[in-house]
Amino acid sequence: MNSIVIIFLIFLAGAVLTYIGQRLSNILGSSLFLLTIFAATAQFYLRVNTGDIFSFSLNGLEMEWGITPISWLFSLIVLGLGSMAAVYSISAMKAKERLGYFYFNFIMGIFSMMGILLSRDLVSFFIFWEIMTWSSYMIVIYEGRSVQKVGIKYFLFSAIGAYAMLMAIVIIYSQVHSVLIEDLVYSFSSFTLAYKIWLPILLLTGFGVKAGMMPLHVWAPGAYSHSPMAYSSLFSGALSKMGVYGMVLVFSMLITQIPEHLLIREVIAWLGALTAAIGTLWAIAQDDAKKLLAYSSVAQLGYIITGVAVGTELAMLAAIFLAVLHALFKGTLFMVVGAIEKQTGTTNLTEVTGLIRKMPWTFIAALMSIIALAGIPPLGGFVGKWMLYEALIASDHYILVVLIFFASTAGFLYCYKFLFGFFLGQEEKEWAHVKEAPATMVVPMLIFSVLLFVLGTFPGLLLKPIDIGMQELGYAASEGHYWTMSVLFNEYGNAIMLQPILYAIIAIFLFFLVFLTAKAFKGTRYVSTKDISSSGEVPGEFENLSFKENFFQPFLRAVEPVMKRQIDWYYTLVGNGMEALFNFVRRVYTGNGQTYAIYAIVFLVILLLLKSNLFG
Amino acid sequence: MINDKNSQKIVDHIHNFARKHSLWVLAYGTGCGAIEIPPTMTSRYDAERLGVRGAATPRQADLLLITGYLTTKTLKRVIRVYEQMQDPKYVIGFGSCTINGGMYYDSYNTINALDRYLPVDVYINGCMPRPEAVIAGFTKLQELITAGKADGAAKYKEKLEWYRKNQKNVIPNWTMPEYNW
Amino acid sequence: MESLLYSILGVLVSLILAFTVGMTYMGLSRKITARIQNRIGPPFYQNFIDAMKLYSKSTGIHHGVMHHLGPAFIMVTSVMSLMIIPILNDSAFFTNMNFHGDLIFLLYIMTFGPLGMALGAGQTGNPNSAIGVTRGLSQMVGFEIPWVMAIIALMIRYDTSSIVDIMNIQADAGRWIMFSSPFTFIAALLAMLGMFRYSPFDIVGAPTELASGPMSENGGKYLFTMMSSSSIFAFAKLTLYVNLFMGGADNLLVLIIKTFALYMVPLLYGTVSPRYRTEQAVRYFWGWPSFFGLLAILYAVFF
Repeated sequence: MNSIVIIFLIFLAGAVLTYIGQRLSNILGSSLFLLTIFAATAQFYLRVNTGDIFSFSLNGLEMEWGITPISWLFSLIVLGLGSMAAVYSISAMKAKERLGYFYFNFIMGIFSMMGILLSRDLVSFFIFWEIMTWSSYMIVIYEGRSVQKVGIKYFLFSAIGAYAMLMAIVIIYSQVHSVLIEDLVYSFSSFTLAYKIWLPILLLTGFGVKAGMMPLHVWAPGAYSHSPMAYSSLFSGALSKMGVYGMVLVFSMLITQIPEHLLIREVIAWLGALTAAIGTLWAIAQDDAKKLLAYSSVAQLGYIITGVAVGTELAMLAAIFLAVLHALFKGTLFMVVGAIEKQTGTTNLTEVTGLIRKMPWTFIAALMSIIALAGIPPLGGFVGKWMLYEALIASDHYILVVLIFFASTAGFLYCYKFLFGFFLGQEEKEWAHVKEAPATMVVPMLIFSVLLFVLGTFPGLLLKPIDIGMQELGYAASEGHYWTMSVLFNEYGNAIMLQPILYAIIAIFLFFLVFLTAKAFKGTRYVSTKDISSSGEVPGEFENLSFKENFFQPFLRAVEPVMKRQIDWYYTLVGNGMEALFNFVRRVYTGNGQTYAIYAIVFLVILLLLKSNLFG
Repeated sequence: MINDKNSQKIVDHIHNFARKHSLWVLAYGTGCGAIEIPPTMTSRYDAERLGVRGAATPRQADLLLITGYLTTKTLKRVIRVYEQMQDPKYVIGFGSCTINGGMYYDSYNTINALDRYLPVDVYINGCMPRPEAVIAGFTKLQELITAGKADGAAKYKEKLEWYRKNQKNVIPNWTMPEYNW
Repeated sequence: MESLLYSILGVLVSLILAFTVGMTYMGLSRKITARIQNRIGPPFYQNFIDAMKLYSKSTGIHHGVMHHLGPAFIMVTSVMSLMIIPILNDSAFFTNMNFHGDLIFLLYIMTFGPLGMALGAGQTGNPNSAIGVTRGLSQMVGFEIPWVMAIIALMIRYDTSSIVDIMNIQADAGRWIMFSSPFTFIAALLAMLGMFRYSPFDIVGAPTELASGPMSENGGKYLFTMMSSSSIFAFAKLTLYVNLFMGGADNLLVLIIKTFALYMVPLLYGTVSPRYRTEQAVRYFWGWPSFFGLLAILYAVFF
């Protein structure tokens, strides 16, 4: 049997077996859950080679499953993050109810994402896309009634995206009479201009919803923050990347074939940058860590969308690199929040404080991913951001790069708020009992932190597969031109040598660490966070010395005009308008038979009058 | 070589020179004497030319300047602040009130002699001492530092029990953490 | 091996140079401020004495690991940026790491320290520290906008992102960028006001308001490290500005004259200004400075 089919069968059988196994016993369920995901991962990486193809026909439709280098690359995100999140969720979801339901949808989520990556025709792509939407919707509403509204919002936007995509597929089929992606690419240049414009727009609407592109992002903060954190890391890390994957395909295959002056690239790039800027500002204003990370995901995806939309070689390289990194660090951060939620029972940044000495390993993971998120060298995030800036400047998007830079600098604010809120600050008695999270939760986070560190110095490890994937999409080889194993180049030929930089940073850091520690060793001692210079006052046990509320109030005051209204407000306005309209329309149903008779006659008269126009 | 007694002497000499010319003052404006600090620091008398500078918090300060009478309530804060400062540290008692209670000698809620509660290195007499006198006080402290005689902190460590007893006598609800270095 | 030793020596010498010059500038700034206020002021070497005193403090406290590491983080930024920024034109001895990073790398390594210090200040648990940090980060978002605009304008105009190249271009043309791209210089100069944190932008450390903000729990060696770091960083930033806009320097004397002249700008602007509130400071940078930044970009694109 074809190895691709075997993977799908493993997923499907595993999902069902896990559901049944969980009914029987907890241990059986979770071990089946892990077994399924690891078996599928092993099967994929050991047995499936790029170029494997499974084609069949359904009702006369030619369909094809196969793997390309670019989908292999994205499968790293899905399976890597998926398996780690699975290990994490065993401890994280302990003692929760309806675990079978959760595991089933979790496996179905990974299954559908793999399906999307493996399908090479639009119909199976669409079917897997819908399975993905459904399974994630099921997990968003996992917590029951309280999240109904969030779930509906998510589903509504997903439906808009899905219909747009379906419409595009129908149009494509009517033009090409085949649903294979190759055929579409091959014959796209013969389409009329109208189709050339509308098809990418419809497809991008579909992908933009999943990638959380403005103004279609409004579902994201709610959905990311209300699903269980074990899934949120997959949701924000991998599931949203499916939108990015779709965009990469559209931009590299279709949009290269339409004239530049239509500005589709520019519009999407600007939308991406605006998403980044506005998402960052809203992230700064959040007090709940889940919400903060959710908005931050929206913002980070904004960078990626911009990079994909600009679409030069370097920009695409940067965007895909950032996409993988985003999966790593945002996956970790959601896991961190999950660990803290499990140990303290809350994720409110204004309540939890001073966990650094209680959860040191979680703190290290959080610190590493925050440094990567902020894009500070020597971690991986810097490589992606650097390439993105250089790409934008080289492709003459000057105002865009300022906007992106603004978003990235303002990002430090919420980064600090996250770290300070949970780990630093006063150590309160309320949290004195908190212990480090279980090892199965900490280890996945630490693995990702190490990866972030390695990729910061040797980005070539990841850029190599990206390069191969991009060559498949028609880009020139970029190795040696833009990067080598640990050196980056820009369009002007200036280089960043990451290895000496890392060594220098480590050397300087150690030197001053030794200086501080050795010289201060004798007389330096640890004092508690209550022993601070507070005008001579001895803080009592219940005195609140935490600075938590209105954390960035002055900054938010400075940007107030931008943040006066959320986009939700406009949607609500439209919604209310529609409701009023429908209320008005409803009045035609008077309940009186005579009126209906009049309507029928009027309708007939109109038909008669327009007879010649309609039927002639 | 470094632990050699002679070289230690040289190091001490250099350190004392630095300490002497860089006194960061934590001006604890307890009483009316605080009004004399601004003229001391600003254009007219300019204490900064001697290296005297205001410090923002006890962690950064070298010199605790107690300007005037201390009620038992403020004494508690002053002790706390003093204990938060880092060695080597000095105290200047400013005005008659810190010496013998001054015009509040028979008040029920001020302390009479600061010396019983904190180790004072230099007293500045007067009610009020003028900025000239304050600067003279600073100079005196500098002389003491050069001579290695400004050892209030060491004295405090040594006789901690005695100081604690006195402090606890006047401060009824003692909630302070223990002084431990 | 020998070349490694040689470069380590170069780093050490530039470090000592930056420390000495930076400390002297800070001392001089105190003297100049005093003269403006009609005082005599401390001697110009006062800051060395202060540093030595802080170093000789015999006890110290820390509030935990991050607090202990905070100063080391800031040092990384200062020393790294000093190593990336060329000190003299075409000097083999001061090459350090000039060719290992570019302007955008510099922008990011410059933010490494503030974030590290923010973490250190955060762990002290002192509310003043955290308030200072939030102010500092907000202000950074403010001044980075005109600053990055200026850098982008330079990159567009001269088709390079390497500082050494920009210095060479000026040497070849015989004309400082300060005159050939005036708007870029103005935007960068206004951003520099925020970078140096003198009045009216001293909202981070505001001694009377926040008890010196992020530094309020640091004494002794910690404060010493921070102080030396800030003086090294000040020298590095001044040198960067000289390199980018004033044609670099051929020898140390010229460098010192140029940097000192540049240093007078934030200092003299500061001595006569009161303090802004945070949102005013942030908005200030998004006003005229960013406008000049925009002009600089337009100028670079069209001329």
